[in-house]
Amino acid sequence: KTETGDEEEKYKDLKGNKKKKSEDLKKELDLVSVAKLLFHLGLSSSRAAEILARDGPNSLTPPKATPEIVKFLKQMVGGFSILLWIGAVFSWISFGIQFAQGAESPFDNLYLGVVLALVVILTGIFAYYQEAKSTNIMASFSKMIPQQALVIRDAEKKELPAEQLVVGDIVEIKGGDRIPADIRLISAQGCKVDNSSLTGESEPQSRSCDFTHENPLETKNIAFYSTTCVEGTATGIVINTGDRTVIGRIASLASGVGNEKTPIAIEIEHFVYLVAGVAISIGVLFFIISVSMRYKILDSIIFLIGIIVANVPEGLLATVTVSLSLTAKRMAKKNCLVKNLEAVETLGSTSIICSDKTGTLTQNRMTVAHLWFDNQIYSADTSEDQTTQPFDQSSPSWTALSKIVTLCNRAEFRPGQENLPIMKRVVVGDASETALLKFAEVILGDVMSIRAQNKKVAEIPFNSTNKFQLSIHETDDPNDKRFLLVMKGAPERILERCSTIMINGKEEPLDSEKAEAFQTAYMELGGMGERVLGFCHLYLPENEFPDTYPFDTDSMNFPTSNLCFVGLLSMIDPPRSTVPDAVSKCRSAGIKVIMVTGDHPITAKAIAKSVGIISATSETVEDIAKRLNIPVEQVNRREATAAVVNGMELKDMSLQQLDDILCNHSEIVFARTSPQQKLIIVEGCQRQGAVVAVTGDGVNDSPALKKADIGIAMGIAGSDAAKNAADMVLLDDNFASIVTGVEEGRLIFDNLKKTIAYTLTKNIAELCPFLIYIIASIPMPIGTITILFIDLGTDIIPSVALAYEKAESDIMNRRPRNKKKDRLVNEQLAVYSYLQIGIIQSVGAFVTYFTVYAEQGFLPSTLLGVRVDWENNAINDFEDSYGQEWTKYQRMYLQWTGYTAFFVSITIQQVADLIIRKTRRNSIFQQGLFRNKVIWVGIFSQIGIALILSYVLMAYWFVAVPFAILIWVYDEVRKLFIRRYPGSKKKLEELREGKTENVFWPRACLFPNLQSYMLEVTLLLVSPPFKPLSP
Amino acid sequence: MATLNEKKTCSERMENFRRFVWNPETKLFMGRTLINWVWISLYYLAFYVVMTGLFALSIYSLMRTVNPYEPDYQDQLKSPGVTLRPDVYGDRGLQIYYNTSENKTWERLVTTLQTFLTAYTPAAQHLNVNCTGDKYFIQDTFDGPNNTKLSCKFTSDMLQNCSGIADPTFGFPEGKPCFIIKMNRIIKFYPGNGTAPRVDCTYVGDESRPLEVDYYPVNGTFNLHYFPYYGKKAQPTYSNPLVAVKFLNITRNVELKIVCKIIGAGITFDNVHDPYEGKVEFKLKIEN
Repeated sequence: KTETGDEEEKYKDLKGNKKKKSEDLKKELDLVSVAKLLFHLGLSSSRAAEILARDGPNSLTPPKATPEIVKFLKQMVGGFSILLWIGAVFSWISFGIQFAQGAESPFDNLYLGVVLALVVILTGIFAYYQEAKSTNIMASFSKMIPQQALVIRDAEKKELPAEQLVVGDIVEIKGGDRIPADIRLISAQGCKVDNSSLTGESEPQSRSCDFTHENPLETKNIAFYSTTCVEGTATGIVINTGDRTVIGRIASLASGVGNEKTPIAIEIEHFVYLVAGVAISIGVLFFIISVSMRYKILDSIIFLIGIIVANVPEGLLATVTVSLSLTAKRMAKKNCLVKNLEAVETLGSTSIICSDKTGTLTQNRMTVAHLWFDNQIYSADTSEDQTTQPFDQSSPSWTALSKIVTLCNRAEFRPGQENLPIMKRVVVGDASETALLKFAEVILGDVMSIRAQNKKVAEIPFNSTNKFQLSIHETDDPNDKRFLLVMKGAPERILERCSTIMINGKEEPLDSEKAEAFQTAYMELGGMGERVLGFCHLYLPENEFPDTYPFDTDSMNFPTSNLCFVGLLSMIDPPRSTVPDAVSKCRSAGIKVIMVTGDHPITAKAIAKSVGIISATSETVEDIAKRLNIPVEQVNRREATAAVVNGMELKDMSLQQLDDILCNHSEIVFARTSPQQKLIIVEGCQRQGAVVAVTGDGVNDSPALKKADIGIAMGIAGSDAAKNAADMVLLDDNFASIVTGVEEGRLIFDNLKKTIAYTLTKNIAELCPFLIYIIASIPMPIGTITILFIDLGTDIIPSVALAYEKAESDIMNRRPRNKKKDRLVNEQLAVYSYLQIGIIQSVGAFVTYFTVYAEQGFLPSTLLGVRVDWENNAINDFEDSYGQEWTKYQRMYLQWTGYTAFFVSITIQQVADLIIRKTRRNSIFQQGLFRNKVIWVGIFSQIGIALILSYVLMAYWFVAVPFAILIWVYDEVRKLFIRRYPGSKKKLEELREGKTENVFWPRACLFPNLQSYMLEVTLLLVSPPFKPLSP
Repeated sequence: MATLNEKKTCSERMENFRRFVWNPETKLFMGRTLINWVWISLYYLAFYVVMTGLFALSIYSLMRTVNPYEPDYQDQLKSPGVTLRPDVYGDRGLQIYYNTSENKTWERLVTTLQTFLTAYTPAAQHLNVNCTGDKYFIQDTFDGPNNTKLSCKFTSDMLQNCSGIADPTFGFPEGKPCFIIKMNRIIKFYPGNGTAPRVDCTYVGDESRPLEVDYYPVNGTFNLHYFPYYGKKAQPTYSNPLVAVKFLNITRNVELKIVCKIIGAGITFDNVHDPYEGKVEFKLKIEN
């Protein structure tokens, strides 16, 4: 709870900052009046250099990165490394003791220590390298083309890199520019800025020189760093640069939001605790046993090292890293660039996605969606790559409407794009006009030539007071000398000016019935969240308006009423065509998609409905109220599955109310939210125990991106700050890419389970030799270094190969994993690996061991209890079962042959283990042995490496083969039972529900970590076998 | 564990644990019903019984397949090891240090030799046959009693001056000690390729320096009729032939490094890893 408290404080801090800032601003505004006089002079270069030296460059300082050396050292001591270091130190200590005592071969222990240290260092370097590689991808990504700014310096206009701007500089901006710093405007012509990266509102806002509000964020005369100027031109004076800009302050706030541990990091930590717990407890147990069996302390320490080495899967963490980076690569191909390797899996466990609307769910461009003429609504194609429009175009009304759409439009294509598809061409003009232009171009062909044929003689551009746009044209019909007046604008305003309406090409009087029809259509289109425009025209009588008539737009010496209404066109930023499918995939995958947008609730709801975030059958409280015709308050809130929450409502909500909404509605849309509220929503979702993915592009989103379990920044629209704060970058800004990412994330979680199960199994076969060696005093069956050969030699490639395994069933049809219950390593997995397959492996390996010794002269009965004499340097005529006598070295050589045979038989059985781990439920015959070719690479490499590493009679390779087959058959039978009786698992689960969670080992209250894994270890040692590894 | 994040008091934890061990409401013992535990234990019991059975079966069939007379492979035993009696090992191999004037220091060594030679008394060797030929004693059939093969007699008197019969102190007090060299048994090993292998003792590293040694039997040879060895089951009474060496002019109060090699075809003594293969090295220091 203290954590959230901290964040709240930070939150207040942000607001406090703003207040302070407004005071700063006021002071600076006084300067503006002076500067205005001097603005044509600008700063002198020398003064600018002085200020630059004082304030530093105009760029955001990137968040403080952890020093590389710290990252590196972290890799060296994390995970199992500590255990291995302990092993190494013990080895060196025993070397020291033996060396001091002058024993015969003390260097073995020195080497062992060195090898252990090398293992740690190499795996550390490897993990560090992998991390660094993925970070580098991001680093290159964030390097953007240096931005230029037009500055007046020394009374001259100069292009300068935006970094060199200083406070007091006079800059000029025009449509399309990014604002290079926080600017107080001193002159503006039709200037509009897109503040979406700051406030999340995608509607362009006009800017002027007037001071309109106390709050710098609201006032119209300030343009902010990193926002863009959409149209118009302006000149302004720089009032803040770099980190002191509004955006800079928000960005620095983001770095204050703590980074949560990723789910996979938690899982791996849990796994490390578990295995370390087993290692330490068995190690200590056998240390005590060996001491009480009167072994020398030094020997006991060496046993302890052996047990630790046998228990720690040295290669596993490297394998996990490789698997994750393989998936990261695969995801990068699918346009998900992963910044932090662990985020790969986080995406798979995501249970809530808070998605932006604009650009992520939608195409981020206005497109004509519906038309209304001849009393009928037609829908247009809104897909990304439209080439034709399918609606009925035979009506003469359409001809008239299309003419207005074409002519009453100021937007133009940039020249030189004739070869590009229409939808991809760049247009000069605002969003609606662009939509209309493209729409007309698709249907009518060359719009520019049509406009040329219908020469424009007069024009009144759109302005917010009359809310219409008007132009007068000559007609393309040479026989028709009339002028055509075309007009478009807000539908109700257009209708006011009309007296007739065109139906099937004929002008009919506009009576109340027709007006009613218009009203219905308008409401319907508006209700779909679309921006509706009305179109009307009038042919000016030839006699009144001859060829030479001087049209004057100021005095309006032409009729602007009693026009003929032609039709309505409605536009929307349509959803991306892949999104509805992706949303339904999320739904079946049990992922809740919440839309968080700055847009209007109606638009938001319409898009949510069209992409399936709000399904067709569900209703909001308001919908129910409307349907039942009762006040909203009387509706039973439980009945509504969907909810559209307005940012204003959210502001007044208590945390509890928000939780209530998040809990009780499965389909939620947050509209008119500020990016700050996004953070609140994310925190709310996290309070529900969900793993939350958040998409964002604006700088203001970065706190939410940081707070989220996985922050997803937009590659195209995203700001650098957002990309910095995010864990992942969507290169194509497409929501559907997230879903493929989820799929990959889930697959890797499944496959990591397989890898871990595979790796854990042989631990027992590596551990048993030590235990039996201590208890039965047989010659050592396997050496510590040999174990490292398995862990870091033969087993590495196969365990990576499991990462290539295809999904067993549709992983997108199951719910996201429960963070608390569905662990990476659960007790079933560990118990099955350790106590069943591991035991079979050990038996197989021991049979090989005894075979080798028996065939060389030592029958099993001779071996028991032989250890002391066997290892005695003073006995060089040691008698075997056949009466032959062996020197110490000859015995050691035999012992090494034994190691090799043991090693070989573990390798052979690991092949079987690899094959059974391919699937967790399906038979190997269902999954197919050849679908994953990499597995075969794994098997062959395993055998190949074993062949290179070992020199042993070929016969010994085959001793363990029956046991390998046994492992496979046993596991097939187990899988058969799981498939046959799937219900038993569920029943067991139900029985266990809620019980294992709050369980504590009583004696270890002081060491919370210790107690948890001691508990886990207990559970592990006493758990049931006949449960599937949970799916 | 998610639970770790929640701070709870010790007593709450104890309570939770107690509830985990025995939950009276759900009747779960350590998260499972008792009957569940019984089934699990039974399953594991059965599993381990089966695995033990499989292991026993494997070992049984292994024992059935191995040859009772000789091991299937002998690739690890190519050249015999050599041992020395008395065998006193220090930190770095054999170290025989004694003081002629202090009886205690050499009596121990003498006892070792006497004990070692008890296996070579005529009484101990009475089951073995007298062999005279200087050839390999090859036996393809089981001519001995109880389906065994015959072994040649080796009695301590063959060691003459070093037999301990005439001089029960083996020359230790005089500073001319006897040492006994024994070659390890290897089944069906034919040393020397027809000529009897012999022991040759020199100073380590300085082979030209004369070392006066008497070898018993003469020339320090292992007679070929003691070879080949047919294994414990075929030759239960077999005893290794021995060679005794008596050092005659040992410099006093100096640590000497001596190596005794067995010279003969098929016996290698140049294995750098094995100080006892085909040779035996030891340090000798006689003090006054």
